[in-house]
Amino acid sequence: MANKDLNIYVLVKQVPDTRSKAGVNPDGTIDRAKAGKMLNPFDAYAMQAALSAKRMGGPGSKVTAVSMGPPPAIDILYQALEHGVDKTCLLSDRKLAASDTLATSYALAKTLEYLFKSDGKPDLVFCGLQTTDGDTAQVGPEICERLDLTQVTYVEGFEIKDNLIHARKIIEGGAMEVEAKLPALMTIANSYNKLEFKTFRGAKFVQGLKRNEQLQKEYVKIIDLATVEADDMLCGLAGSPTIVSATWKIGTVGGNCTMHQGKSVEDMVTEVFETENSVIKELSKV
Amino acid sequence: MATVEKELAKNTTKQKGPITYDLVLIGASPANLTLAHRLCDLMALKPEMHLSVAILEKSEEFGGHIVSGAVVNKKIFDKAFPNHIEDGMPIESICEESSFALLGRKKKFDVPSAITRALLPDFCKEGYYVLTLSNVVAWMAETLQAKAATVPNLDIDMYNGFPATEIRYENDKISAVKVSNTGVDLEDYVHGDLFCFADKGFLSKDIIKKFELADNPQIWSVGVKETWRLRSDAPYLKGKVWHTLGFPTLDGTLGGGFVYGLDHNRVTIGQVISLDSKNPNIHPQKQLQELKKHPWLQNILRDGELLHYGAAVLPEGGPASLPKAFQVDGALLMGDALGLLDVKALAGVDKAMESGYIGAEVVFESFSKRDFSKEQLSKYQKKLLASPFMDKYKANRYFRQAFIKNPDLLEKYLPIFVDGFDKGGFLWGGLKAFLANPIGLTVQTFSALIHLNAPNEINDEVRYMPGYEHIDPNFTKEMIARNQSDEKYQKTTIYSREDAVFYAQTKYEVHPEHIDEFSAETCLKCIKTYEAKGLDVPCVSDCTAEVHRLDIRDGGVKVHGMSLENCVQCRTCELICPEQNLRVNAAYSAGGPNFKGL
Ligand SMILES: Cc1cc2nc3c(=O)[nH]c(=O)nc-3n(C[C@H](O)[C@H](O)[C@H](O)COP(=O)(O)OP(=O)(O)OC[C@H]3O[C@@H](n4cnc5c(N)ncnc54)[C@H](O)[C@@H]3O)c2cc1C
Ligand code: SF4
Ligand code: SF4
Repeated sequence: MANKDLNIYVLVKQVPDTRSKAGVNPDGTIDRAKAGKMLNPFDAYAMQAALSAKRMGGPGSKVTAVSMGPPPAIDILYQALEHGVDKTCLLSDRKLAASDTLATSYALAKTLEYLFKSDGKPDLVFCGLQTTDGDTAQVGPEICERLDLTQVTYVEGFEIKDNLIHARKIIEGGAMEVEAKLPALMTIANSYNKLEFKTFRGAKFVQGLKRNEQLQKEYVKIIDLATVEADDMLCGLAGSPTIVSATWKIGTVGGNCTMHQGKSVEDMVTEVFETENSVIKELSKV
Repeated sequence: MATVEKELAKNTTKQKGPITYDLVLIGASPANLTLAHRLCDLMALKPEMHLSVAILEKSEEFGGHIVSGAVVNKKIFDKAFPNHIEDGMPIESICEESSFALLGRKKKFDVPSAITRALLPDFCKEGYYVLTLSNVVAWMAETLQAKAATVPNLDIDMYNGFPATEIRYENDKISAVKVSNTGVDLEDYVHGDLFCFADKGFLSKDIIKKFELADNPQIWSVGVKETWRLRSDAPYLKGKVWHTLGFPTLDGTLGGGFVYGLDHNRVTIGQVISLDSKNPNIHPQKQLQELKKHPWLQNILRDGELLHYGAAVLPEGGPASLPKAFQVDGALLMGDALGLLDVKALAGVDKAMESGYIGAEVVFESFSKRDFSKEQLSKYQKKLLASPFMDKYKANRYFRQAFIKNPDLLEKYLPIFVDGFDKGGFLWGGLKAFLANPIGLTVQTFSALIHLNAPNEINDEVRYMPGYEHIDPNFTKEMIARNQSDEKYQKTTIYSREDAVFYAQTKYEVHPEHIDEFSAETCLKCIKTYEAKGLDVPCVSDCTAEVHRLDIRDGGVKVHGMSLENCVQCRTCELICPEQNLRVNAAYSAGGPNFKGL
């Protein structure tokens, strides 16, 4: 039995660019306004999974990328379109500031429910494993519980056959093969396939889109909490039971690590030997 | 249908028709970006005409695959970018002092400026811009986007990471180029009415071959260069420009160095070496290291910091190598792809940009008439050849011939001169070279001077052989001149080729496969030939990054292998492989170096 047309959603987030040095406050926290931005690297695997799933489905399959964040986050939605995602949606609202995972999963679940009404019920929802700025790995599973979908986490490979998911998920010390029914939510591990390079057609489409406001509205839908009928009290700071009592700089992690770089190998080896010798001397005194 | 719906139908990602543009520019190069800027101006004057343009660039960032000097004639910017100062074009400095220097292993002699002005006026660069061309190209791309947004009847789409790798023809007219490798034909080809190639030969060489446009082959050189940040008390170099001759290219090959003082206490140093050399092992990157060991440069570089390394080839043939036609049905050739570099003055940027400027006018007219035939496009060739920016290029047409006809000058007398110069000074060096063969030197110098400064035709038909045909497996001279062993140099200023690659920031996200080796059998034979002579095989020695290697297989057989993840896509190996057993293609998916800052 061939697979049916799959209606696929993928959740993506914009995070501070780990490669840029700008936007780090003196106390070590991130100044999000100043920091360079990028697609959460874990979500790139989720996006690849969504695009692969689209190929497994019938010819009418489609992928919608969904994000939550301030307006500049539309950049990652453009990026998603370049890679071949069909439509995108951004939930953007000042009231979302300071959301913890519970409030985030609530707002995103409401957004998905809203999209299910206009863009069709889901067959698959993909999430990255975690984000590089939050690192909790909670949001995906929380959304899944709220939407009452089948949940498969830590997926590093999957196939859809006869409208059933056959997935391989990482477990401690090994991997596990699971079979699951649609509709399902999968969180994708970073041992899954790398995101393929953008497509020419996708890149062309996005450039045309940027010149055409009406088309932008169609393909990058920007909505707020009122649109998705979310309860403000369950969003943002108000909806976040997590309390950050204090943050502090833990200083330099680990022992003495000297980086030898930027010189010829010969010089670096000499340098390493010189440092090692002095360390050995120091130690022998003890 | 309402306009939005029409747009939707046309633009939806689901739409699966062929990908089509009116005009396709291959390479976001100085030539093509100048063309696109000029086209904005022209299109603004004709709002009833609509054009869609795609610019294909193989690098991840605009300027990311551009290596140049670059000291550039300011006039071309005044013409093509009249507001470049207000628009914030990045200029490193304006040349205040330009010198031509002869280098021994230890000594340096700055030729008095009166003599340079009389004999080598092309090397007097006072008033020229000193540029980091990769940054200027990025600026051209950025300002183009802003400018195109103000011209509603011109849609310019800019593609990074999409090279053109193959040409498709329909009845001998170029109809499409391949830009990706998904395996789905409709997704992988971009169609157009007109194509402009400013790709330094990557793909345009196929057009020249197919239409038999070249009577005389192009000859190429390779330029390797580094940019350094200097220690705070280093000599102040901003605005200073040197071109050098002599050490370390003393193997008979034509070669020379350049040292350009940049802004913010930085300097750029490079060596350009002709590839029509008998020497099978030129080692361009090592030659650059030898140049840096020179006491003059040590004084500059000591305690400095290497910022970037890169390499690129330069077309040196001049007018003699120009294709018969600069255009074919549906395509124009521009800049280095055409061979517009004046090697005597080491100047190609101005002419590349002028080819773009004139190209834009002809492209505009061709779209107005919807005529893309080579007859219509031939106006480009006529106008370009008549441009004042081409005057010096044409006047210097015998430069390479001067050394080809008088080979002893570089092979014999220059090394003798350098030896004597180091021991007893400039005059002593000159005398020693003279005494080696008074008549020979005089005759060859005289003949060379006639060629170098020939104002008119001298009835000397220029004939070149491609670089690889010059390589002599029996070559016995010193491959690279070494700095005197007693000279002190700071080890941290010298980099092995492996280490240099790190400063070219090569990155291939997708496993690279962009160089074709046609026959393993041919390589085996080649390896045997050079090993028997105690030489390296040319691709291994002359690669500017650390790509070609010999692998030892069972039974001790040596085979040719490649570490393509290091490749900076300079094309040197393709040009020097004596068996013509390699082809360097542009890599897909934005793979390659990052030359920003070079
Ligand atoms: C070391 C060195 C020093 C130089 N010094 C000077 C100097 O001081 N003054 C001066 O005037 N000139 C100098 N030149 C020459 C000058 O840089 C060139 O003549 C000039 O850059 C040529 O411009 P172009 O428009 O032909 O394109 P290029 O500068 O050659 O740019 C080609 C562009 O096309 C892209 N490309 C290539 N193939 C493809 C493909 N198939 N698909 C997509 N994109 C592709 C490349 O990535 C690149 O961005 C120097 C050159 C070198 C190498
Ligand atoms: S690639 Fe060319 S130079 Fe290299 S081993 Fe093969 S034949 Fe020889
Ligand atoms: S492999 Fe060829 S193209 Fe690549 S860096 Fe080496 S010489 Fe240049």
